[in-house]
Order: sequence, then structure tokens, then C-alpha cells
Amino acid sequence: MHTDYQALVRDDRVHGSLYVEPGVFRDEMTRIFHRGWSFIAHASEVPEPGCWITRRIGLEPYILTRDMDGRLHALANRCSHRGTALCWEERGRSKHFQCTYHGWSFALDGRLTGVAYRGGLNKDMGELGLDRAGQVEAYRGFIFVNPSGTAGPLAAHLGTGGQALIDRLCDLSPQGSIRVPPTWIGHRIASNWKMWPESDNDGYHFQFVHSSTVKAAPDTYYQETVLGGESGNISHAVDHGQGHFELDLRPSYKAPLAWLGTTQEKTPEYCTAMESAYGAERAGQLMMDGPPHAMIFPNLFLGELNLAIVEPVAPNITVHHHTAVQLEGVDARINRRILRQSEAALGPASFIVPDDAVTAEKMQSGFGGASPENHAAQGKAWIDLSRGMARETMDGPRRVGQVSDETTNRAFWRHYRDVMGATS
Amino acid sequence: MSEPAATVAHGAIDAATLGELKAFLYREAGLADASDYDGWEALVTDDMHYWVPRGPADYDPAEGLSYINDNRPRLATRLRQLRSGSRWAQVPHSPMRRLLSNIEVLAADSAAGPYTVAANFVVYELAAQSTGALHLWPGRATYRLRREHGQLRMAQKIVELVTARRPLPNLAFLL
Repeated sequence: MHTDYQALVRDDRVHGSLYVEPGVFRDEMTRIFHRGWSFIAHASEVPEPGCWITRRIGLEPYILTRDMDGRLHALANRCSHRGTALCWEERGRSKHFQCTYHGWSFALDGRLTGVAYRGGLNKDMGELGLDRAGQVEAYRGFIFVNPSGTAGPLAAHLGTGGQALIDRLCDLSPQGSIRVPPTWIGHRIASNWKMWPESDNDGYHFQFVHSSTVKAAPDTYYQETVLGGESGNISHAVDHGQGHFELDLRPSYKAPLAWLGTTQEKTPEYCTAMESAYGAERAGQLMMDGPPHAMIFPNLFLGELNLAIVEPVAPNITVHHHTAVQLEGVDARINRRILRQSEAALGPASFIVPDDAVTAEKMQSGFGGASPENHAAQGKAWIDLSRGMARETMDGPRRVGQVSDETTNRAFWRHYRDVMGATS
Repeated sequence: MSEPAATVAHGAIDAATLGELKAFLYREAGLADASDYDGWEALVTDDMHYWVPRGPADYDPAEGLSYINDNRPRLATRLRQLRSGSRWAQVPHSPMRRLLSNIEVLAADSAAGPYTVAANFVVYELAAQSTGALHLWPGRATYRLRREHGQLRMAQKIVELVTARRPLPNLAFLL
């Protein structure tokens, strides 16, 4: 099936069929998740030689390994003999993988190292290593993979905008680095994956979808950063290009560490460590600015002091995985505070995302059987994303709107159209 | 299988107390099924800890990430949110029925308590807010119960879901 993405993704609106059509989903698995860069893991999840984790990129199962020389490999979790999954646990540590079907063994770099009854094998074992992602690169501990190996350097994908977002997060550690706990929490939602880059970075919905959070916990700092309507709110929605976008909450923070729900007076050890590391002026700016609230296309949400991975499962099923950021070189109370904030904000039992989840599920239900033929051609089942188009401004390479503007949605879809509309 | 009371090494639990503990568990389950937040909150102590770990309860909840790790103030916030009328993940409430079995008294500090009691459960929950799917929530709950003014009250509930290491759908009701 040929889908005309230029016709279905307009500057001011997109068609609902893009959230439900199986053919669109298949195209996305190839054009976005196979040919492009996706986030797979943080380096702290595979800290030592022999460590590995299992994860999916698109629908492809991968084992991310660190070999005995410390190099990273993204290997297909699929025996090169008959296709059996080699690892079925979330993480582990070993020097090789052995298939449970016929006992073939593979090294951490994917080489085939052992075949049972080898006399019957007429091929060179060197031809039968595991499939692997063509490119694996990291930026400040954030590991990305490009399965096809044709996407060009990671630095070009992230751009200066994407790199600056990751920098802002890492620089909240006096050592300039973060780690993540050994667990992510998965939230299974009956919606298309694209609703999550959109929902996680929508500055227009908070006082409607999350009114119960505001009523129950009125001291939440979202009051000041994304609520307050148009007149009272000075945060920005920003398009960084390349499909990366942000709700820039910095203009709304009135005091240092507001994003951590605390003050400098209550956290003298952290403030001292930051000033020693960065000097008073820069430390003061970092502690004022706080972490980004941003999306790195296509699947990494930098959710302030959380990370989330958007995993597509089927056109109408997504898993939103999250974990808490832990800052290296700070006292344990700061990191415990971040864990508790993370539990409050993200996951199936949290105070915020469950309400986004039912909203996404209601959208999915609303699109039902939306199709280009029966609906788009008759002007039906479009969604409008034009809010704020007329008042955006350019700030160098950044396109900036008000926080409630759909600048972030348009940033996603503009890049989506570029990637999906490419014919080869 | 002998009577559960026999599993308490010091034999401190008599049949009447065991019946009282079971009645408390069934009452708590019924209030949770009914999304009766006021009734349920009346059963908990001022230092209640409500924990739904991500996997077996074999880690320190202070140092790791959990689905729910509520101290009493956060539990109060959770219940306020549910009562707000706009907790969309529970508007309308999920129709639910839960079955409890294999109730065991694991420990008793004295005949008068506090008691540590465990039960297997399955919750049948209908996601009436969105998909209308029937979700099954099997697991084991461990309760810490003590007497306040003669009445049993819940000081801790740890809920270990069979599915805790897999992605879960919305869990916005009382488990």
C-alpha cells in the first residue's frame, strides 16, 4: 500500500488515519525506527564488561552488550541459526549467549563461537554471527542505535538543539553525569505511539487533563510553569528542528531548584558541590534553569528528572517506559527526592500520566476506522494543530511559541513528514 | 493444609482472632471494590505505608522505583485526587470484584497484635473509562494490622503483583 504522507500531514493539521492504519505503522517501523536513530539505553545500564540488557527498537528485539573490551554492541536477540530469542530476561551479565534450541554460542560482540556437532556445518562460522545494528553511538551516556547503519552520525541527528537539551540535564550533576536505576516501569496504553511524543510535550492540556492533580496537590510547580492560561504564563513551546522539541519552562521558574520542589537553603551540600564544579555564576544559572522537558525524536522523552522511552507495539498499543534520573556526585537525599517525584508523575499508578493514558485511549477510539479514502478524501477525521501558528517567532534555528501553542506537535509532524515522505 | 493459625510458630492466634483478621481483609477488599474512598481511608493508620513494588518486595522502597510507594500524606493526596471528580483515569470508576484466598497469619507480636497477614488475590477490573477491556490483577498482598482503640487498622499494605515486571495498564484504583 502506498500512503501519501505529504497529503495526510499538512502544516496545520494531520489525518487521524495516521494513528490507526497498519500500513502506516509498518512504514514507520522501516523509515523511522530502522533507517533512523533511536534511543536504546543509558550507559549506566551496562556499566561493566559482560553487562547486557534487552530492549526493542521498533519491533526488533535487541541485546545491548558491553564486550570484554568495553565496546557497545546492539545485537539482534535472535539466534542466527533458527531465530530463537537468546535472552528473555531484562538484563544480565555473562561472557556469551547460548541458544537453548541447539546450543549455538555467541560472544558479547555477536560472533558465533560454538556450534554443537560442528562436523555437519559446511559454512564458515564467521558468516553466522548475530545480526546487529549498523551504528551504535553515545552522547554523554545516552546510547542511540541506527539499525540500518545509513543514518549518518548521531551528532547530526541530535543537532546542537538536541545536544543542548541533554547537556542541560547532565549538567545538573556536579560531575556532569547521570545514572538510571536498574529498573524501568512500563505503562501499557491502548493508543498509537505518536500520541506520546505529542502528549508528553503538550502545554495546552494540563489544566484540563490534570485538574485533579491540581486539586489534590495544589502546591505542584506545574501551577506556575504550564498553568495560568495565556496571560499568566510565560513558558515557551520550542521546535529545535530534526523532530526535537521542548516545553521550555525556564521563564516561569521564580527561584532556584523550583523544578526540584525545594530551595537552596534546604540543600546546602548540593549547592556547594555545584558551585565547586561550575563556579558560582554558572552553577546559579543551572540551578535556576533546571532540567529540560523535551522530546528527542522519535522515542526519548527527557521528562525533567525522568527519562521515558516510547515503544511502539502495534498501531493501537504503546508501552511508555520510564525511570528516574539519578545525579552523580550529589547527596543521597536529592536522588531519593527525585525517585519520589518520579513515582508521583509517571507510570500506571502515578498522579499524572494515567489521565494522559485514558485521553490517548479515547483519541484512539475516536479515530476508529479513519481511512484516507473514506475520511480524508471527504474532509473528515482530521485533527487540528494550528494553534499559535500565527504568533510563532524564529530565534536562530529555534521556532518559539507560547507554552500552550501546538508548536511542539508541529515540530514532530514536520520532521515526520520529511522522514516518512522520503520515497527511498 | 491445616488451619492457617497453625502456621504461626508461637501459636498466639486463636480461632476468634483469625476470624476477626479475615473479616477485616474482606471488608477492606469490599471497600476497595466499591471505590469507597472514605470507608477505605477510615481503615488505615496515621502512619500507613502503601507499597506496590515493581517486582517482588525484595528491595528498599526508599532507594528504588515503585508503582506506588505512598506514605500517609501521599496516600491522602491519592484519595483526594480520586474524590475530585476529574481523575479521568477513574471516571467512571472501574467496576471491580476481587477474590481473596490462602489467608495466612505470618507473624503476631502478641495475641493482641500487631499481626502480619498475607493473602492471595485476583482483581477483575473493567477499564470502563476508555477501552472497556477486562483487566486481571493477580498477586499477593501482605498486611500489617494493629489495634487502635480496640479496632483493627491497617498500618501497611504491600501488593506484589504477578505481572509486576511487565508493562501494566492504568492502575488508578485501590489495589
